[in-house]
Amino acid sequence: MSNADAKTARAEWGTRFGFLMAMIGAMVGAGNIWRFPFVTGENGGGAFLIAFLVLLFLLAVPGLMAEVALGRYTNKGVIGAFRDVVGSGGLVGFGIVVLLVNVALMSYYSPLIGWTLYYAVHSLLFTFTASGFEAVEFMDAFFANPALMIGLHTVIMAAIAAVLILGIRRGLERFVVFAVPALVFALVVMMVRGLTLDGAGEGVSFLFSVQWEYLTYSETWIAALGQALFSTGLGWGIALTVGSYLREYDDVPLGGGVFTAIGESSVGILAALAIFPIVFAVGLEPDAGAALAFVSLVQVFPEIPLGGLVAILFFVGFFLATFTSGLLITEVSVTTVAEETRFSRTQTVLGVCGGIWLLGIPSAYSVEVLDYLDFVFGNWGLPLATLAIVLVIGWVMGPERLRLLSVNKNAGIHVGHWWNPVVKFVIPAVMIFIMAYFAYDAYGTAEMIGGMVVLVTFPIVGYVLMSVVDGDERRPAGEVTGGDD
Amino acid sequence: MPLETEVLGMFAFTAVAFFGVASWALVRTLRQEGRKVELLEHQDVMDTYSPTALAELREWIDRNPDDPYVDDAREQYNACVDALKTTDRRFYDWSDDDVESLERL
Repeated sequence: MSNADAKTARAEWGTRFGFLMAMIGAMVGAGNIWRFPFVTGENGGGAFLIAFLVLLFLLAVPGLMAEVALGRYTNKGVIGAFRDVVGSGGLVGFGIVVLLVNVALMSYYSPLIGWTLYYAVHSLLFTFTASGFEAVEFMDAFFANPALMIGLHTVIMAAIAAVLILGIRRGLERFVVFAVPALVFALVVMMVRGLTLDGAGEGVSFLFSVQWEYLTYSETWIAALGQALFSTGLGWGIALTVGSYLREYDDVPLGGGVFTAIGESSVGILAALAIFPIVFAVGLEPDAGAALAFVSLVQVFPEIPLGGLVAILFFVGFFLATFTSGLLITEVSVTTVAEETRFSRTQTVLGVCGGIWLLGIPSAYSVEVLDYLDFVFGNWGLPLATLAIVLVIGWVMGPERLRLLSVNKNAGIHVGHWWNPVVKFVIPAVMIFIMAYFAYDAYGTAEMIGGMVVLVTFPIVGYVLMSVVDGDERRPAGEVTGGDD
Repeated sequence: MPLETEVLGMFAFTAVAFFGVASWALVRTLRQEGRKVELLEHQDVMDTYSPTALAELREWIDRNPDDPYVDDAREQYNACVDALKTTDRRFYDWSDDDVESLERL
């Protein structure tokens, strides 16, 4: 395989910092804000963190290295990378599976970003600290206004399109190098404020008290597994796409693996330290999920000193976390579609964002639809996409080849032979286990049926589509997709 | 409420294991980028593999002469050897003797 032509006109990250912030920005999302702190506290606190850390190093770090390395080696988006490895034909359709999962994921994530935007704007207007403000009524009125929800979904997709049209360096990179540090800054300030509240220690104890017996519970390990795999975005195609814009001399294992997985988790812990001291200081329920952010915390901002400022930090930070994830999830489809068609980047961005906008209308209209899709794609769609990527690397290309040709090339740390069986056996086995576990757990429910439909139809659609179109004339490999080089 | 020693210990462990490792990785990789940029500005090319990684690549090429990826592997091996032979400053920890013993494939 030759990459020579691919390297001539493709965009690249302008700086290593830009690449790292893109990786972190993509992985830190809504789950870090309301899910990670609660899952930690409910599963033995410190014991959960130890299980989580073990699984991060065992699965997420090697898996992310594999994905970034494949992107860097092929210099192509998901389908192009798969074609380089698999050859032409129906099996390239595994790439379509990853693409479809990303589009579906983004269709319900965009309305959720719209929620965070709505609350961020109201935090800037000091709505939450105004006298007579009622958090529950405010949220009910918001959710009962489909026109507003669809309007926000439209604004988000338009904003994402605007950033992506500018390209990899001028759009994505410029945005993330400011947004991610701003998010971290907001969380640090909020943490300092929260930790100085009376009763904040209870929140810290909830997170860090070590209940060792939890390490013997299978539920703890399954919860840690889900968090380690899904919060790091392993197998979504994001790491592959971001890696495909790496410069030739960049490192994969240190930045694409260790920093991304551990850094993203560090932001999750920071969010926990920012939120839980406040939650416990004012006696809120820690397991409120989305309602924790949109109802519970909103109620306490007027009660704590500098509450208006804390509300701004929280909701603007929350918006930045979700928006950067949305940008990178959409970029997976933009890069891939631009490479596979004759459309320009601008045309592709408009087409992809328009398509996602259309598909996202039901989720914007109804929170129930959004919840349903989140369950289906979180438990079956994403493991399926991850399985597709690791199977192509582990069983078609072979991990040893990728390790020698890309992972250890220009690497900041050496990755040894131990990496091969992890990519070839352990990660695929874990993904199959997760899908089987959730099928068993949700047996007979509408969610499980939806999950099975995704598991069966997406690979068939991908296989048939690529069998038909692969072999048609396509634009030359490596033609500009990043838009600004 | 005063925090228990165990909670403080776990907090410290978390700080080192997460924030410490992430900061270490960030600083190390950015410093390495700085060195790479400096090398490339100075000599235009640089060594792309560490001695261990290049030895593994060589061994794999020898063991898999008919592999579909072997041409690419050989190209990458030779590019690294060329860079090492033609430059005086190196990114990885290569000794002059190591470089002297290398040959193109």
